This record gives sequence, C-alpha cells and structure tokens, in this order.
Amino acid sequence: MTPWMSSGLIYASGLALTAGSVTLIYITTRTFNFAVASMATIGFYVSYTGVILYGGLPYKYYPFVIIIGSIVGLICYYGLNRHLLRRRAAEITLMMSTLGYDLVLLSMIQMYTDFLTKTYKLFPRRVTMNIYDFELFGEKAAAFILPFIAIVFLMGLHMFLTKTKFGVAMRATIENPVLAGASGINSDRVYLVAWVIGGGMAALGGAFIAMAQTGTPVMGMFIIPLMFAGAILGGLGSLYGGILGGFVIGMTEYAGVFYLAQRFGPWVLGYRMGIPLMLMAITLLIFPRGLAGIPLVKLFGLLAGKKRGVNA
Amino acid sequence: MTTKNGMITKIKDYMLLREVMVILVILALLTFLFTSRGVPIILTIFIDFAIFAIITMSLNLETGYTGIPQFGRVAAVIVGAFAVGSIPGRIMARFMGFPWGIEYASDTVNFKVVPQITALLASNWLLSLGFLVLSLTVAALSGAAIGWLISRPAIRLKEAYLGISLLAFGDFFMWVGHNWKGMVGGSVPVNVPDPFRIFAGNRFTIIVLVIFTIAFLVFVFLNKLTKSPFGRSLRMIRDNDMAAAAAGKNIVTVRTRSLVIGSALAAIGGGLYVLYVGSVASIGFSRLTFTFWPWAFMMLGGIGSNIGVLLGVFLLCILRTMIVIFRSQWFGFLLVVGIDPLWLEFTLMGAVIIGVILFLPYGLVPEKIEPMLPANRVKRVLAGRQ
Repeated sequence: MTPWMSSGLIYASGLALTAGSVTLIYITTRTFNFAVASMATIGFYVSYTGVILYGGLPYKYYPFVIIIGSIVGLICYYGLNRHLLRRRAAEITLMMSTLGYDLVLLSMIQMYTDFLTKTYKLFPRRVTMNIYDFELFGEKAAAFILPFIAIVFLMGLHMFLTKTKFGVAMRATIENPVLAGASGINSDRVYLVAWVIGGGMAALGGAFIAMAQTGTPVMGMFIIPLMFAGAILGGLGSLYGGILGGFVIGMTEYAGVFYLAQRFGPWVLGYRMGIPLMLMAITLLIFPRGLAGIPLVKLFGLLAGKKRGVNA
Repeated sequence: MTTKNGMITKIKDYMLLREVMVILVILALLTFLFTSRGVPIILTIFIDFAIFAIITMSLNLETGYTGIPQFGRVAAVIVGAFAVGSIPGRIMARFMGFPWGIEYASDTVNFKVVPQITALLASNWLLSLGFLVLSLTVAALSGAAIGWLISRPAIRLKEAYLGISLLAFGDFFMWVGHNWKGMVGGSVPVNVPDPFRIFAGNRFTIIVLVIFTIAFLVFVFLNKLTKSPFGRSLRMIRDNDMAAAAAGKNIVTVRTRSLVIGSALAAIGGGLYVLYVGSVASIGFSRLTFTFWPWAFMMLGGIGSNIGVLLGVFLLCILRTMIVIFRSQWFGFLLVVGIDPLWLEFTLMGAVIIGVILFLPYGLVPEKIEPMLPANRVKRVLAGRQ
C-alpha cells in the first residue's frame, strides 16, 4: 500500500460512518444533526479511556463506544428532538436545536479531559491512538480491521433494514411518513431507533477517525464540515449514498493532499480540508442534488442509444 | 371595532412590557457589575455588545428577514478583519517608504513598521480619521465582494444544502487565514496601526463611543432598510418564495443583495474588532465565536426583530463576562477536580439555544407583524375613500 492509503482507508471508513449517521437521521426525522461532531469525539474518548485505564487493544472497546453513542442519541431524541417533531418545527429550528445539544456535549467533553488530566495525570488533549495498534503485514492493523468492521456494521444495518419487520417499517416511514402512520406504524419508535443507530454509528466513526488523526476535544468540531460534505455529496436522500459520499470525501482528502503536496510542495498540507470541500462545491454546481441526483438511468440510456422514457 | 382596537393595544402593552423587563434585568446586572468591579468591566461589555450587535444584526438581516440559514457568518467577519489587518497598513507603509509586500506580514518587519505608522497617525488627527474611514471602507468593500462571491454557487440551493455550503465556505476562509503567511502572518499575530492612539489616555472610552455610534448607525440603517420596499420583498421571499416569484420578484437577485449587504456589515464588525484589539490573530476567529455565538444571540433576542437582537446580545454578553469574572468565586467546586469553569461558556451557549427553542420559540421580543403601510396612513386612505 502507498503511504497515504492505509491512513486514508481508516479515515475514510470513519467519515463514511459519520456521514451515514447524518444521512440516516436526516432522512427519518428531517433533522440535520450537528451533534454528530460531539458524538464522534465522545466515541474517541470512550475508546481512549478504555485503552489507557484498562489496557489492551482499542478494538476491544468498540462495543462500549457504540453503546455510549447510542445513549447520547437517545437522550437527544427524548430530551429535544421529539418535542420539536411533534410541534412540526421548521428544518432550521431542528438543526439549531442539535447545535445547542452539541455545544453542551462539547463543554462536557472539555470538562472530562480536564478531569482526566488532573485525576490520572494524563495528556488527553493531544492523543495519537494508533500507537496502541499492532502491526499486520508491515502496515498498521487498523488499515485492515477498521474497514472490515465498518463493512460488517453496514451489512448488519442493511440486513436490519431489508430483512426484519421493523426495518421494513422504518423504510416505509422514510418513504412516506403519513401513509406509514396510516397503516399502523409507530413513527415515534422509528425516530427513536434512527437516533439510537445514528448515535452508535457516529461514535464508532469518531473512534475510527482518531486512529488516523490526532485526537483532540475539538476533533469532531473541526471535521464536521467534511461529515456534512459527505452526506450532501451522497445527496441526503439515501443512506447508502451518504456512506459512499463520506468514503469518497475521506479518500479524496488523503489522496489529493498526497499527490498535490508531491507536485506543489508541502504548503498544500495546510489547505487539506479545502480539497474535499472543493469536490463538494463542484458536485453541487453540476448536480444540485448530490451524487444521488446523477441521472444514471438516463446516462446509461444515452450510452445504449435508447430513447428517454423507455424504462419508465 | 373598538374591542379589536382594545385587544391590539393590550397585545402592544404586553410586548412593550417584555422589552421593559429585559431592559430592567440588563440594568440590574450592569449595576451589580458596576458596584462590584468598576468602570473598565462595563466598558469591555459595551465594546463586546457593540461589535457583536453589528455582526448579529447582519446575521438577522440574512436569516431573520431573508430566510437564508447563514451558518458561515465567520467568513465575512474574517474577511473584514484580514482586510483591515493587511490593506490600510500596507498603504501607509508604502507612502512612508517601508517594505509593504509579503514581508510586511512577517513578524520581524511588522514589529518595527507598525509602531512608526502609529506614531505618525498619532501626530495628526486628520490622518487618524482618514485611516479609520479607509479601514472601514476597505472592510465593507471586501466583505461585500466575498458575500457576492459566496452567493454565486450557493444561493440557488435549498435550506439545509445552503446552510451547510455556507458553513463550509466559512471554514475555508478560516483555513486560508491560518495558513497564508503572506497576508496576515498565518498563525503569528500581525499588529495593526492604531488610529485611536491620538487620544492617548482616553483611547478606550473613545473606542467605545466610536463603535457604539457605528452600531447605532447600522441599527438605524437596518430599520430603514427592512421597512423599505426592499425589506418587504425580503420578508415576502422568506415567508413564501413561490408567491414572491409569482408577484414578479427575482428571488436570486434579492437574496444575493441581502447576502452582500449582510456580509459588508459583518465585515465592518470584524474590522472594528481588529482595530479595538490592535492585532489580527487568525486563530482567534473561530466558527464558535463568530457564527454560533451570534446565532445564540439572535435566537434569544427573537429572529427577525432588530430591537430584540440588541437586547439578546446585551444580556448574553453580560452573562458571558460574568462567567469569566466570577469563575473561581462561584464555580470553585469545579476547580477542585481540575475543571476549568471557562467551559461553562459553551454550556451556557448550548443551554440558551436549547431553552429558547423549547420554551421561547419566538425569542424574548418576538417579531412584530407590521402592516404594509403605517396605521395612520391606512386610516387616511380609508377616510379619503369615504
């Protein structure tokens, strides 16, 4: 593997999970979740706390990461989002409410790091998690394990959405909330499950990202534009689009920075986050509804020489 | 007819009562701070208030009146700050024969050049005034330019897309500021010539007066603007863009104009902040301070109500300062476990946003529904008909 690829893979799978979380919560509850930033940071700190206090590999603590992320999502739903959804609040209001929640969580994370510093004499403000990793085939093991975990998690999610009765009900609510409600689906529970899964996904993604980058209390706050960029690149319409968008954004950042820095010199490194955002801006200019808005059927039809409307 | 009028006056009284109550709370807090800490802290609060009032009113023009979810307020503020930090000082350096290219921003040169410019400014009040006006003009022009530039790809997008694109643009300018050493020194702060040095001992008071005057002018300007036909078309587009389009309003043009005006005003705010502090540190301009704080102010005050925004800014600025001042006194129990009470600032910001959304959805002073014409003119028109 080329040097950028291993950390790029780790980072991109983390971004894929967080962007997927943003998309999942958006398509179920119309809420653009700002709190995904702090959820990701919380995921990282849970794995860090586990490794530093109880030892072992970071992977061991990922179940706890998911559980705590889910609890954070659950609190957000019951404390905040539920009341606003019942009130039929506007999209911007929903967005702002999660921003408020995110700021409260951010202050708690900062206090927690202060607490760790004082009580355990640690340095939790700049953490490189990958020193707790082991080597596999001459690479960091995380480059193989983390994408695998992400794929397993997403396969499980896919099975849940397509094979179980509740998953089908969830998809029905996403497609048409009114009709789903009329056929007896409890939308309240659907929203709750979306927040729980979304919280778990975001926290797991944050724990992944910390394996590729320096973990800080403002880590999530710093990369939240990229999580959103992933979700928007995916079109904010389908869960799989969001996951793909996050992955593309992550890989573009690492690959772009690597090749551009080789070509133009190291000053490019400072603008690393500009590269995926540029990609997002260009995509939005051409396809205002993201990757999902690319008329694939039409394009293939054109290539095959078919006329429009044949397969409609 | 009389009962209806009676009800309207009742509602009006109630609204006025709310404003008066908020003002009373503010005054009480101010007197408390004044008696316990003295004048300097009051002046600091006033400066904070005036600068954030300008920025928040510009945000209110875009979000409250036009309905653009402006999550990238920091972009225009940064551009205004950098313009004031880089351009007027360079012009002065050029005329005085100092290096004014990229090397102006390097800390070794900047350290020597800026005090000499400041000394020259302090010798001549006309020059000082000219420098101040030049700085603000440069800030406003570059802010307007950036607003126009940002609006090009973004303005046609829908709600959430628009908000996130603006957020991304704001962050982009932040990174440019952190990394581009040639403009304002990247992560090393650059000093700014001080046009207020001529007042020597009274510098602080004069700055308060100047910034207050500018904030007041902005307030008057926005009040006039939002009551003009342009302001009415803004509100029409916010409430129902289809109807506005059907009535012949060009939505893209009107929204672009609103974005340009708002960005220019926010850039003036950023420029004044830089002139007050005396240096530009690009690290200091974060999304948290210059996008999310103004959002919290605006939501507390009442989206779409200028007077409410002013009250919201004042109240929160005081509370924020109080956390900073009394942190060891009131939150000493946190210090015992090593927690810095400064983080409570974020808790306050988040709690205000959540509390306002849940319990006060229209803010402290809700937007008043204004008739298209003033009431006495409506009466006159009706009387003329009969």
